[in-house]
Amino acid sequence: MFKQITNLNGDELYLIVSLWIFLVFFISVGCMLFWMKKDHIDHMRDIPLENQENENETRG
Amino acid sequence: MQIEQFNYDNKIVRDFGIATIIWGLVGMSVGLLVASQLIWPQLNFLTQYTTFGRVRPVHTNAVIFAFVGNAIFMGVYYSLQRVLKARMFSDTLSKIHFWGWQLIIVASAITLPLGLTTSHEYAEMEWPIDVGIALIWVVFGINMFGTILRRRERHMYVAVWFYIATFVTVAVLHIVNSVQLPVSFWKSYYVYAGVQDALVQWWYGHNAVAFFLTTPYLGMMYYFLPKMANRPIYSYKLSILHFWSLIFIYIWAGPHHLLYTSLPTWVQSLGVVFSIMLIAPSWGGMINGLLTLRGAWDKVRTEPTLKFMVVALTSYGMATFEGPMLSLKQVNAIAHFTDWIVAHVHVGALGWNGFMTFAILYYLVPRIYKTDLYSKKLANVHFWIGTLGILFYAIPMYWAAVVQGLMWKEFTPEGVLKYPNFLATTLEIIPMHIMRATGGALYLAGAIIMTVNLVKTMRQGKLRADEAAEAAVPGPIVVHEAVRHRRLERKPVLFMVLALVAILIGGIVEMIPTFTVTSNVPKIESVRPYSALELQGRDLYIREGCVNCHSQTVRPFRSETSRYGEYSKAGEFIYDRPFLWGSKRTGPDLHRIGGKYPNKWHFDHLLDPTITSPGSIMPAYPWLITQQLDNSLLSEKMNAMRVLGVPYTADEITQAVAHAKQQAATIAEELRSNQVDVRPDREIIAMIAYLQRLGTDIKATAEDERAASTEINKRN
Repeated sequence: MFKQITNLNGDELYLIVSLWIFLVFFISVGCMLFWMKKDHIDHMRDIPLENQENENETRG
Repeated sequence: MQIEQFNYDNKIVRDFGIATIIWGLVGMSVGLLVASQLIWPQLNFLTQYTTFGRVRPVHTNAVIFAFVGNAIFMGVYYSLQRVLKARMFSDTLSKIHFWGWQLIIVASAITLPLGLTTSHEYAEMEWPIDVGIALIWVVFGINMFGTILRRRERHMYVAVWFYIATFVTVAVLHIVNSVQLPVSFWKSYYVYAGVQDALVQWWYGHNAVAFFLTTPYLGMMYYFLPKMANRPIYSYKLSILHFWSLIFIYIWAGPHHLLYTSLPTWVQSLGVVFSIMLIAPSWGGMINGLLTLRGAWDKVRTEPTLKFMVVALTSYGMATFEGPMLSLKQVNAIAHFTDWIVAHVHVGALGWNGFMTFAILYYLVPRIYKTDLYSKKLANVHFWIGTLGILFYAIPMYWAAVVQGLMWKEFTPEGVLKYPNFLATTLEIIPMHIMRATGGALYLAGAIIMTVNLVKTMRQGKLRADEAAEAAVPGPIVVHEAVRHRRLERKPVLFMVLALVAILIGGIVEMIPTFTVTSNVPKIESVRPYSALELQGRDLYIREGCVNCHSQTVRPFRSETSRYGEYSKAGEFIYDRPFLWGSKRTGPDLHRIGGKYPNKWHFDHLLDPTITSPGSIMPAYPWLITQQLDNSLLSEKMNAMRVLGVPYTADEITQAVAHAKQQAATIAEELRSNQVDVRPDREIIAMIAYLQRLGTDIKATAEDERAASTEINKRN
């Protein structure tokens, strides 16, 4: 099954480099998430719901 | 803390909403027409403006850019104002955006049936319209960034990131995919040729799905779903993780549209690997959406908006699982070029885009009209009829795909193709196509019911054009924010730059070596540029949209080389601007059609396909016989080709018309000897010249080599 991605006659470099780029990128996003504050997350989650009351009041 | 009073602009949301509904009905009706044409070819109406090849791009572009496009702007203009607590930056820009976009749609709807097309799938519009799209897209960008900069909420909510990524990526895709050299106001050639053109087209095509049909809809999901369910998004962290992974990975996956073609293998493999990886971020979005409904499933029973959302998310999950599966080479070998792909995109378009658009319309129309929905019952009817429509559409198409895909590959015990006549496989799946059209009709009926319901809702309420709102003005930042992403969420321009970097990496890694390393497109000595008449014929092939049903790339399978001939090589396409590999085989592949049949066969076949192929569903092209070939731009076309690197000599360019006439006379003479009386200056002669040339250059090599080896043998 993996023949289709391993048998590249020397062009594997592209694949390996690409996967490394992704891995580094993914890990850095992961680290950012790990050090994120809980209160900030709660605030961000609630943004769409903030003007709910206001909306209901003005609705006929 | 200072509180500011301001208004939300609801009028622009309403305008985009109405445009969404109208273009939705138009796009779906045209879809129903093209689906019916594949069953009853008489519905091509024997005019050149209504044949499948020209109308199919009208359907795809109408649905993608008119229906979904207007729905995106409706959703973005509604949600952006609210999550940023600010009115849209400029009412004038909003109006220019709205009317400019509608003008682009009308211009496309007129030019595509006229045969003015570049033939790049989902980007068929000619260069003046491309310029218009770029300008209006910039207007949208300025309006969006202006609003972001004037916001009263310091941090940008996840929906806004998706909108920013959409804006910047679509701009990059559109520009790169539209680099053309104009020959006249309505004719141009791509600067890319053959394999490279194919890579650019599918990098664009795949990411149009990603950044026009997916990211803006995920952004809208992150706003509208919490509003509809009245609870916050399940995991904000997951939204960050899947956002960055999604935009980073998606851009690499384009080459999975070109598996087993002459695209370099390493590019194909990159496409496969990243396509598989794409399941994770796609499902991250789906799971985040569905889990937002935890504890609110009782509402799904009663609220039609949530019902539509659940089916939309489920369809998204199915389509994004199916996509990676289809990009596995083993699956692709059977499914590619069949109706599977059509079913796959329609699960996405009808389920994900269509149903979420309906949910948002049902949600916001009553709100901006300060009333309740006219009839929940009708909305429920719409939901069920639409869901049935999707099932009736998709299931028969999967069935048709497996049946036809296996028939193409079946050999008898004696080792010959069991169904050597392609038409036999087409006729086999007609009943499935009838069911598909029924599914489409059901879905359209649902959309009509929605239109009635929304019009009644609008009539019973009154548009609240400027909705009053108030918000606190954010004060200066006094505390340093330690977390990087938190800082990023208040820096829109930096955010855009980072998103741009994330989406550029994949494109750069795949494209630059394919364009610069010569070994990726090995040259074939015997491949020569098209003659003047063949070039004209090729442009007719493009005008008639033949590529919508006929591929021009033979894959290296026994089943294909037995049916069509030698498999296609990269070096054969170096003069093909644009590439015409196609993505669907409603009819057989044509790459090796040259020399397969006599000229008379092609004449009869284009006059009425049922003469040569009884039962054929291909439209007839009698106008090719009556219309005179327009040679007025021929020299300019060849000159443009020379500018792009095709080695035409000065003599070939200045004498182009004379050479074309000479070749036409030979073909007409040959036809006359077979009792076909046709004038040599007719379009059909050019079309035959092109078809007879297709894929023959490498045969010349084989013959030359044979001749050379006989020569050597003789000498020995």
